[in-house]
Amino acid sequence: MKRYLPAFIFFLFFFLSSFSFIKAQEFNFSRAYNDYLFNYNQYRQSYSEYVATREAYLSYQTLTSKTQALEKTLKMLKDEDEVIRNYLTALRMKAAETTGISNDEQNILYLKLDNEVLWYTQHKESLNSAATLEDLVASGKKIAEKYQTTEILIYQTLGTILSGKETNFRNQLSDKIQQLKGKLGEIRQRGDKDTSLSERWLLEAENRLTRSQEKQFAAQQILAKIKSSDTNKSKSYNQAQFTLEESHQYLKEANSYLKEVLREIKSAD
Amino acid sequence: MPTEILNQDFENIPTEEEEKAQVKRAKRPIFIFAGIFGGLLVILLAAAIFLGLNQGKNTAQIKSTPTPTPIPEIKEEITAPSPYATDEAVLKMEEEIKNLDQELTSADLKESGLNPPVLEMKIKFEK
Repeated sequence: MKRYLPAFIFFLFFFLSSFSFIKAQEFNFSRAYNDYLFNYNQYRQSYSEYVATREAYLSYQTLTSKTQALEKTLKMLKDEDEVIRNYLTALRMKAAETTGISNDEQNILYLKLDNEVLWYTQHKESLNSAATLEDLVASGKKIAEKYQTTEILIYQTLGTILSGKETNFRNQLSDKIQQLKGKLGEIRQRGDKDTSLSERWLLEAENRLTRSQEKQFAAQQILAKIKSSDTNKSKSYNQAQFTLEESHQYLKEANSYLKEVLREIKSAD
Repeated sequence: MPTEILNQDFENIPTEEEEKAQVKRAKRPIFIFAGIFGGLLVILLAAAIFLGLNQGKNTAQIKSTPTPTPIPEIKEEITAPSPYATDEAVLKMEEEIKNLDQELTSADLKESGLNPPVLEMKIKFEK
């Protein structure tokens, strides 16, 4: 038996280390977000290098400065593609980890986000064929145009993530209301306590849930109306976000009513 | 052959007890030395521990932490409890609602870390 002990220890060690390796490789929102931040820093650096070489080229107009400008512009555009790609991936992971978003909604989002990621991946690859500064300027225009529609998807995804959170809270509150309704029904049947006040508060809580739902719907409408031609898309998003905060306030109020219901149940008539 | 004259003072031959006392007397300085040495060691150790502790106290950085502000929690006591005040299901729901309340309060409804990146989209090589 002792003969197999070293072999057993070795396999146990191997198993445990492979498990931790797999865990380290796990791709989640946190990792995607860190990737995005890393790429964003890289993009900021390459952008400042692009600005410097551009200025040098415009001042000196030499072949060397032109070559350097070409090189740095290419790098900056590639990094730009990479930043957007990583940002969209982080958003996708966030949507995947947010409870409260329906499967249908998630699938539609994934499809849209994956298509965008594919576009930026292909665009990055296409940059390799750019030979002149004019080619790169044209490529830059392409990203700028594409980003107009990508921005809509970004804000709608952010809105869906926030809405998902609200839906999750509302579902939890709805469950609690149902549980309390059941308890009140039980008390009413026993007849040892007046439940009319608690029932009224429960109705008020349900009312708040409905209002919260209405506000959430209003926020989704605002996000759905964003057009690619809108110059200030963030303004619409902020408006939607504010509406979602109002929706959240109703949820808080609903929860306060539930606390009151419980207090009433625990107090004698 | 001359006979050997034994010049021994048989009267002064120490007895067994006297011998023991003599050995004791001979060992006394060793005991005294060991005692002094041990005592010094203990004193030194005590001093080292005392100084060490004091040093630790002197070098320890006093971090400035804000004085915790007591949050007044207004709890309305239930003076007349109903038969459901100790009901297991009611208490469980109360705990869950309390947790939900905390989650609702701490929920991040901005996700400002996820705001879109600021990108410079204008590329031109004209003055």
